[in-house]
Amino acid sequence: MTKEFAVPPVDFSGGSTTGANFQQRRAPAPPFQPPRPSSASSSIPFMSFDAASAAASTPAGPFGGTIASSSSFGGGGGYASFEDEEPLLDELGIHPDQIWKKTRSILNPFRINKTVHKDSDLSGPIFLYLALCLFQLLAGKIQFGVILGWVVVSSIFLYIVFNMLAGRNGNLNLHTCTSLVGYSLLPVVMLSAVSLFVPQGAGPVRFVIAAAFVLWATRACSNLVVSLADGGEEHRGLISYACFLIYTLFSLLVIF
Amino acid sequence: MYNNMGPQPGMPMHQGIPQPGMPMHPAIPQPSPFGNPFSGPGSGLIRSGLGAYGEKIFGSSSEYVQSNISRYFSDPQYYFQVNDQYVRNKLKIVLFPFLHRGHWTRISEPVGGRLSYKPPIYDINAPDLYIPLMAFGTYVVLAGLSLGLYGKFSPEALNWLFVKGMVGWFLQVMLLKISLLSLGSGEAPLLDIVAYAGYTFTGLCLAVLGKIIWGYSYYVLIPWTCLCTGVFLVKTMKPVLFAEARSYDSSRHHYLLIFVALAQFPLLIWLGNISVNWLF
Repeated sequence: MTKEFAVPPVDFSGGSTTGANFQQRRAPAPPFQPPRPSSASSSIPFMSFDAASAAASTPAGPFGGTIASSSSFGGGGGYASFEDEEPLLDELGIHPDQIWKKTRSILNPFRINKTVHKDSDLSGPIFLYLALCLFQLLAGKIQFGVILGWVVVSSIFLYIVFNMLAGRNGNLNLHTCTSLVGYSLLPVVMLSAVSLFVPQGAGPVRFVIAAAFVLWATRACSNLVVSLADGGEEHRGLISYACFLIYTLFSLLVIF
Repeated sequence: MYNNMGPQPGMPMHQGIPQPGMPMHPAIPQPSPFGNPFSGPGSGLIRSGLGAYGEKIFGSSSEYVQSNISRYFSDPQYYFQVNDQYVRNKLKIVLFPFLHRGHWTRISEPVGGRLSYKPPIYDINAPDLYIPLMAFGTYVVLAGLSLGLYGKFSPEALNWLFVKGMVGWFLQVMLLKISLLSLGSGEAPLLDIVAYAGYTFTGLCLAVLGKIIWGYSYYVLIPWTCLCTGVFLVKTMKPVLFAEARSYDSSRHHYLLIFVALAQFPLLIWLGNISVNWLF
């Protein structure tokens, strides 16, 4: 025996509520449109202020410097269609292939590829910072704020030292400096991953491994800084000592 | 004795060419021995750093503010004109001051009608700020390392060590400044005194390094460091004191210099004692 369900026909024609219509779905109403008088009818120029165009005019997120192109908004119907929107990563300014290229260039400390690092970005350093914090977390140390604070302080330190040493023709800017210090944290990240497996009691072994990674990071950072900004060539040793201090500080966090 | 550069060209120490960028308030350049910090090398750093407060600083009281800043905070870029050779030779002087056979006075040159001192590259006796800054950083890192070797490392402990180092530096600056003030007008630039005070951290780093390598060497290195720092400060402050003094009162000068040298002992012992609580 089949049950007969008195299912009223689904009606999309404007919201009639007859009975308990749980299946009836309302069509999504278009967002609120302020009435737009034509320019001929009113003397006051009316600035049509859409939510879509408002979103298009705000700049992109804190990472990277690219501003989302807003030319694709405000199509037909008044609200942005999904296909016209920019991809999220582009809008935020995160370019994963660029990050990967830059990270890979740090892997070889003996040959510096400075063209890849020419436009600086901060999303790669943020990613490396999160990786370092994750490995520290696995070792039982919760040091998110500490590492972030130390990265900021040490990049300001390197910025001051480099520009003061280079004098009048020093043109390292803080964004580039932070980007380079952040990318050169890759060896420290690897050190923290490796030190998860080295037993706690083997004292000298930990120091030797840490020293190797610190020297790698120092070499990468100082070579990049000297090759990317003017005025640093005759002060290579002095600048690389400053970088050495910075990365020794981070390695202290990892070892102890 | 030390010659860091070859034949010295007649390099003008500061040029008065205004840097491009922020529109410069047309102020009369104040004659100060180390150049106007707003229109010399390195001013880009100061300008971009102060850019956010540009309207406030370069407002109506610009000249007054500029002159005050020039007097108390002379052009910091002068102290960073160093090179590898200067750093090496200066470290030799600071760590072994009695081996220095040359003279201790700074070479001055007339620039723009006023006597000013040569930058550190040309003059081994000129103070610089690079070595004190790096020595302070090395002290903090080495102290963190020694804490870790005794199993007491934590990021907060390192922060306290930083504060302790800063307090020590400040105390040393106060010591030198007060001894200058009690004798003469105390017109030596503040950054000079800060640089002289920061040189003590080099010997301190040596002592802490010795402590890390072999514990008992600390008891030999600390008196040695105190002695060397005392001798270095006395020999450096002597021409400064005699230049700044209003009246020539020989015995008072000497007592003050001996006091400066003796005060190094408690200060350095306090700074060298690395522990978690920063008072002692």
